[in-house]
Amino acid sequence: MSTATQEPKTKSPGMWGALRQIPADIWSSVFRNPLPSNDLERSSTSFTNFFLHIHPVKVHKNTLRPIYTLGLGLMSLFLFLILVVTGILLMFYYVPSTTQAYDRMLDLRGTVAFGIFLRNMHRWSAHGMVAMVFLHMCRVFLTGAYKKPREFNWVIGVVLLLVTLFLSFTGYLLPWDQLAFWAITVGTAIAGYAPFVGKQMQFVLLGDTTVGQEALLRFYVLHVAVLPVVLVLLIAIHFWRIRKDGGLSRPEAAPGPLVKVRMELQKKVYGLQGFVRGPFTKIGNVPDESVYSWPNLLMAELLVLVLTVSAILVVSLLFNAPLEQPVNVMHPPNPAKAPWYFLGLQEMVSYSAFWGGIGVPTIFVLLLLAAPYIDRSPKGVGKWFARERLLANTIFLTLAVVNVIFIIIGTFFRGPNWTFVSPF
Amino acid sequence: MAEASKAPDKKEDVSRRRIFSWLASVGLFGSAALAAVSDWLFFKPQVTYGPSARFAIGKPDEFPPGTRISRDVERVCIVREGNRLAAISTTCTHLGCIVGISDTGFSCPCHGSRYDQDGTVTGGPAPKPLPWFKVTLAPNGELEVDKNTQVNPGTYFTV
Repeated sequence: MSTATQEPKTKSPGMWGALRQIPADIWSSVFRNPLPSNDLERSSTSFTNFFLHIHPVKVHKNTLRPIYTLGLGLMSLFLFLILVVTGILLMFYYVPSTTQAYDRMLDLRGTVAFGIFLRNMHRWSAHGMVAMVFLHMCRVFLTGAYKKPREFNWVIGVVLLLVTLFLSFTGYLLPWDQLAFWAITVGTAIAGYAPFVGKQMQFVLLGDTTVGQEALLRFYVLHVAVLPVVLVLLIAIHFWRIRKDGGLSRPEAAPGPLVKVRMELQKKVYGLQGFVRGPFTKIGNVPDESVYSWPNLLMAELLVLVLTVSAILVVSLLFNAPLEQPVNVMHPPNPAKAPWYFLGLQEMVSYSAFWGGIGVPTIFVLLLLAAPYIDRSPKGVGKWFARERLLANTIFLTLAVVNVIFIIIGTFFRGPNWTFVSPF
Repeated sequence: MAEASKAPDKKEDVSRRRIFSWLASVGLFGSAALAAVSDWLFFKPQVTYGPSARFAIGKPDEFPPGTRISRDVERVCIVREGNRLAAISTTCTHLGCIVGISDTGFSCPCHGSRYDQDGTVTGGPAPKPLPWFKVTLAPNGELEVDKNTQVNPGTYFTV
């Protein structure tokens, strides 16, 4: 395009001129737009770039308020990307075999260049992702962001939390150390308490009656192939729904005296704005509260990316991922503890295996899934701790805090034979 | 085509379409169900590679009266009192950890379940007593434990 407009002005460029033009031609064939300097180019940049067109051309100002989203969802995504990259690199040296897995861990620590660093990054990102996904869920609940029309995206989000937990569960068998072995022994025994199909499920999950080579292979395949694919698919739907549900939740705009045009009747796309459901405030003379994604949203995202990656790098440089003794099927460590995010579950399991491991978690997950369909009031959306949502927020916070308390008890106050000890 | 014959034709079209869409749904959900069943069969192993559930533990003389030995590989505790011998499971009935032999019987390191000498629950979250397994004497004079066959607690094999 650029050459076509230039040609009439200049003389025939000659061979050297044509050659010198090649880099610019290649560049413009890859990137259709110059660096944007006006609004049309800003729109066009978001629109024509494969990686950027996931964004709307313009976003509401509320979307960019750091205090509203805290960037938690993005952090979860970036941690997942770190996990994919480091995970694939670790796969080059890992063997899912009971006789080799632990030695490979030692190799990573001792002989592979950056091996220990990659493993640290993978471990700490996994912990971080579980925490961030949980906090992201808290943010969405406490700002009432799961309400209509975002109910189904909340449901997908809950499933994403479960898949994240299952990914981390399958991942920590792989080092084949004492923690891995006994945590999986306990975790799959919990599955065995499920009514009717529990024992069968446990057998199929382990591929044997006890945790051994079959279980290691099954968990490996789940961890590196099945679950990541499921997670990527769900993330794609989750993001797509954000756009289709009208962007991030925000407080209802002050009703103006102006004409409201309902998009269902319009069936037309105006300018470069996307087609969204519900009242479409852009049309008419409603004040425009939106800003261009390039550069506003991109800069915010870049900042979150830099913060996330640097946090993981710093933590991975400072702390090594734990590796316990190799598996000894005869001597469980005492106490045998799961990683911190399952210690709340383990604490509950120490009172009753069925209720702690199956009953209460199932009820909790069902409550989460049903929340947007039970709490149907449209009020209090887009605001932290809205007064109208006092009851819902109190119930949610109570359950979340109880879970955290159980995790703290399980982590710090449980000693040998799971007896109560004081950490002080 | 005459007007009169058009109406019934159209009616028949609709019902034929219905039958086909109904058949298609049956086919679709049927094959989904079949796929689920065959997936389950695929993932359920027919042969396991773990230790055998039936194994020899040695001659009776190797277990003098008063013995309480935990065989951790097979996860059984061999108990001999006088001329009576029994095999008690050392897999905790709570969540599958290996229970250790303690002064009062057995105790589990994972969630604090406690059992007495016979495997009866005395504390902690364990829902069931430790099972006892059948002990027999093989023709070659060795004792055999069969973990696939449980016996009532208190059922001893007389040596």
